[in-house]
Amino acid sequence: MHKSFISQNPSVLWFLAALSLFTLTVVLLSEATGTAMISTSFVKTLGKTLCLCLVAIAMDVVWGYCGILSLGHFAFFGIGGYAIGMWLMYARTETIVLDSLSGQVIPPTPQEVSDAIGNQIFGVVGSSEFPLIWAFADSLFLQLLMVVLVPGLLALVFGWLAFRSRVTGVYLSILTQAMTLALSLYLFQNDSGLRGNNGLSGLQNIPGFEQTPQAIISIVFFVASAVALAAGYVFFAWVVSGKMGSVIKGIRDNEARVRFLGYHVETYKLFVFTITAVVSAIAGALYYPQAGIINPGEIAPIASIYLAVWVAIGGRGRLYGAAIGAVFVSLLSSWFTGGGAPDINLGFYTIQWTDWWLVLLGVSFVAVTLFFPKGIGGLFDYLVRKP
Amino acid sequence: MAMLLEVSGVSVTFDGFRAINNLSINFAEAELRAIIGPNGAGKTTFMDIVTGKTKPDTGKVIWGEKNISLLGLSESQIAREGIGRKFQKPTVFEAQTVRQNLAMALENPRGPFAVLTHKKTARNAARIEAIAEEIGLIDSLTRVAGELSHGQKQWLEIGMLLAQEPRLLLVDEPAAGMTVEEREKTTDILRKAAKTRAVVVVEHDMEFVRRLDCKVTVLHEGAVLAEGSLDHVTSDQTVIDVYLGRGHA
Amino acid sequence: MRFFLLVLFLSVTALVPARAGELQDLLQIHAEEVAKPSRRSVGMLLDDLVASGLPQVPRFLERWAGREVWQGPEGAFVFAEEDGDSLILEDIDDGTTQTVPDDGYTQLRPNGGVRRVIGSALVQFQLADPEISRRMAAVESIARRPAADQLAPLLASIEDEPDPALKVRKTQLANFLTARFGETAEARIAAISSLSSDTSVEARSVLNQILSRDEGVAPSEPEGNIAQILDPMLAPAAYYAQLVDAGFAPMQTTPAMIRAALEANIDGGTVGGVPLAQLNTDAARERAYAALAREGLAPPLVIVETRDHALGAYVFYELYDEKDPAITDAAAAALASVESRVALEQAADLALDGLSLASIYFLAAIGLAITFGVMGVINMAHGEFIMMGAYTGYVVQLFIPDYTLSIIVALPLAFAVTFGAGVTMERLVIRHLYHRPLETLLATFGISIALQQLAKNIFGTQARPLTSPDWLDGAWVISDVIQISYIRIAIFVLALLFLALILCVLKRTRLGLEVRAVTQNPGMAASMGINPDRINMLTFGLGSGVAGIAGVAIGLYAKVTSEMGADYIVQSFMTVVVGGVGNVWGTLAGASMIGFLQKGIEWMNPSNTLAAQTYMILFIILFIQFRPKGIVALKGRAAAD
Repeated sequence: MHKSFISQNPSVLWFLAALSLFTLTVVLLSEATGTAMISTSFVKTLGKTLCLCLVAIAMDVVWGYCGILSLGHFAFFGIGGYAIGMWLMYARTETIVLDSLSGQVIPPTPQEVSDAIGNQIFGVVGSSEFPLIWAFADSLFLQLLMVVLVPGLLALVFGWLAFRSRVTGVYLSILTQAMTLALSLYLFQNDSGLRGNNGLSGLQNIPGFEQTPQAIISIVFFVASAVALAAGYVFFAWVVSGKMGSVIKGIRDNEARVRFLGYHVETYKLFVFTITAVVSAIAGALYYPQAGIINPGEIAPIASIYLAVWVAIGGRGRLYGAAIGAVFVSLLSSWFTGGGAPDINLGFYTIQWTDWWLVLLGVSFVAVTLFFPKGIGGLFDYLVRKP
Repeated sequence: MAMLLEVSGVSVTFDGFRAINNLSINFAEAELRAIIGPNGAGKTTFMDIVTGKTKPDTGKVIWGEKNISLLGLSESQIAREGIGRKFQKPTVFEAQTVRQNLAMALENPRGPFAVLTHKKTARNAARIEAIAEEIGLIDSLTRVAGELSHGQKQWLEIGMLLAQEPRLLLVDEPAAGMTVEEREKTTDILRKAAKTRAVVVVEHDMEFVRRLDCKVTVLHEGAVLAEGSLDHVTSDQTVIDVYLGRGHA
Repeated sequence: MRFFLLVLFLSVTALVPARAGELQDLLQIHAEEVAKPSRRSVGMLLDDLVASGLPQVPRFLERWAGREVWQGPEGAFVFAEEDGDSLILEDIDDGTTQTVPDDGYTQLRPNGGVRRVIGSALVQFQLADPEISRRMAAVESIARRPAADQLAPLLASIEDEPDPALKVRKTQLANFLTARFGETAEARIAAISSLSSDTSVEARSVLNQILSRDEGVAPSEPEGNIAQILDPMLAPAAYYAQLVDAGFAPMQTTPAMIRAALEANIDGGTVGGVPLAQLNTDAARERAYAALAREGLAPPLVIVETRDHALGAYVFYELYDEKDPAITDAAAAALASVESRVALEQAADLALDGLSLASIYFLAAIGLAITFGVMGVINMAHGEFIMMGAYTGYVVQLFIPDYTLSIIVALPLAFAVTFGAGVTMERLVIRHLYHRPLETLLATFGISIALQQLAKNIFGTQARPLTSPDWLDGAWVISDVIQISYIRIAIFVLALLFLALILCVLKRTRLGLEVRAVTQNPGMAASMGINPDRINMLTFGLGSGVAGIAGVAIGLYAKVTSEMGADYIVQSFMTVVVGGVGNVWGTLAGASMIGFLQKGIEWMNPSNTLAAQTYMILFIILFIQFRPKGIVALKGRAAAD
């Protein structure tokens, strides 16, 4: 059966081969191996891009295959980041606090340690108490569980409510956008327990590996992101290629028909919505230790919209299309906004890309929607089938 | 004769408009039945009620030997109870192949985990091929459904219903837009299907109904106006007045 | 002293001008006090002056307090104004003027305390001043700083007050003063009871001042008008601090104090007999500290149990400053009644706030309701059309400085600009995407991103003002509690106008008829000679144009930024979805619900508007569970797909 899965999906093999080659190249050229042709910060950018590919693939499954234009998957991505960020921040602060308290003659009580950590973490929002949601922050294992459980449960409850009442199409998109907005507004509050708009920071420092240089850490996360992307790709390719794929594509194309064939459409949507939410959260949990900081702005509805933009430009309904879209648009975006692109002098006006990139993105997005609904991936299909 | 489906005293109102008015109608096992009636007679709403898409205001819909009420069930549950429905417009999954379309419809466990771990078996393949043979699409199994002709899509949809192995098939205007040969073939498929299950055909086209050669029910303003053979109902004066007379005028 | 007596003598006899005035005479009797007044003793002088009944007295008091009285070399008092090195003198009694060199003249400089006393003596003159503005000023000065001695002059001035409005105000103020300073308990209680229906801030502050109280702690219940006996266990730490302040108990030993004491008394590897390494629990530290305390090395250990025991032994109370319980009871009753009225008025005020927010949401959403509801097209750039309208208003004001005129020009111009933008967008993009609603959503996202950035590039990131005309400034004040700004009223009126206008267009015009026809059955409409293309274009233009006008209205009360549209887009969609798609009344219902709800939630948690928005969105998500088709739902076949 597995053989037939691969043979039916040659794109999986191609994708895995390309990804392995890319990973190997980056590792060999990184500072970690001493060749240093790729800087550590660029390794981090590439690692983050791989995570974005993973969330884009999840988005493609829920939107491109199942037809649910969710504007909430980047929120799940952010929740994953917050969940792992809580542990990173707690554990690192604990190390620092224990270090500073160890100089004292009288050993600290557990209460003193916890107060000092609370003060360090929540001082910026004028608090020192640990909110309830930090109850598990001291345990890596439990917090990793939270990465999966919190977005999973949120998606399950939200999806159950929405699908049950047959909210579909643009209504559902708007509802998911509202969910995202509510979540980011909540996190913006100082008393949300997650440091308000300061967010969580210092996440690039991995507790227990203080002595390890960032060059090594960045490569480890890069490889981990690549492995996660590969696993996610194979998993989703497996999901969408079999009969499950038939059913969810059927739901996309004609929900009523699938229902009258005897499938409980809501359960399937809920399954796809939740499983992609969990994968998005895992991608987020890998992304934010590389980014180093997470704040509520990351979760704002516009982020989820950009996610849809990547997938649309890359090409919906084909997993590699989503990955290509994420790589292409996010790298292009950082090239343009980072001042990498040369200004264009029109004589009477100089186009500075830091100002005009979003205009270009918006317009090209409209163009893609109008003229190339299959995106870049569609171009691939065309080239592959032509011979 | 034990009834497969008993609809009794059903009424439904949309914004003050009574689409179905105290409708009672029964279907027996392995029966072929045609339902005719002018526009707005409630034919499609009747199907919506039986398949769970619309909940009636009053009345009962009783199904099978165990006398299950269909009113409390969802569309997918009703479908699994053994009621298949064909829409007026051909609704097949155009992005998928004929084989995939049929495979999705095949009688198999419908839960997501069963579907996720579903394995292709020789038995299923044989069933798919048998149905494809029956609807004349055996040579098109690997084709994408969107490439099929209008008539072929209609047959594929009927094939999907057969693959569901329903006990009652509701077919809405299967002959619309078909050529004469295609109609003949459709008639054959439906008559053959009706040997082992109940088939209810909603149709406008009198020629097609005549070719089906079965019991006919005339609906008018949401209630049964007449029932019997085609010759019987076409000679009924009230039917002529409300439908045929107007239709042929 | 002798010197002063001499001066006095001289001034009275030889040196006073021949035609000595009456006031001057009186002043010379108290010359020393006039020249160097003190706050405590000036009262007697003032009493004499007032008792003299001279008409010149008020003017003198004013100028004295204004430091415009000088004493001449001969001791006579004159009004004087400095003019370079010379003084323009004015006689105190007859007002004759002359200019003299300033040699020998000294300016009288009564200090602040004295001037206040003079001021309050002046009040009684001012209260009866022929000039109404001066009477008003006097009344307001009493209102600002009420005192017991003002009651009598105020009461005396009421009867002869010619201005009816001021008379009412004087009566009211006299009532306030009586309530606080009245001579008899009966008079005060009567005045207090009359306040029980007055919800003004002033009346409430009078009642609160009568009810002012002090907290205290004593071993047993004190004498006096007790307001309340407090339960210290509600906030033990704070009450214990009070006990410590009062000297009744030693300070509670905090963990930090324990720690400091332990650190100061390390004896080899142990403290108080406990090894250092074991001191990582609170229990062990307390044990060690108790041992230190026993040896006299630290203050006694006061832990929670000790503290609570001490708290139980004392009475914590609140004592009214007012001694008479009958008065405080009356005031408390009056205040309770006032507060329940205030609560009612607050509810009314909240309702007004909700109404104005609802109007804003309605304006923002109605254009969307037209495009989304009637055409089934979702326009994510709708918010940017609102922004475009607001910027149009801003640009118009750059050219037309008159605010009233500029708004009158801006409204139709904003409509025209966004109508054009909407039609362009429909022709270029949306037309190709009918029946693909999700793609429309995406394409309009793209447009929204581009438009927002474009606005940023043109107008910059800082907020631009859109100034409302003067006659829209200020607020309509119904009472101290209920008030609503004119701008919000204007927006409400605008929303009503639009409701009427859109209903009229849809129900009464040919265009409306055609729009409805296309909505219900495009094929049939086309076969009857209606051009659906044209109708779609016009409908979309109309919806966008309304957004432009909404933009001007919103810009008037909020800042104009490139992101202002994004702030309203989610709420606008919520409004349409909650109200029920395809129905103007539904949008109205949705806007009202969301507006009132948001204000309601904000009222329950006023410190946190972010939380209010979060909860509101959650509520809407739940609401859609129960009414997926909105408040005003279409039924039947029309709603099927």
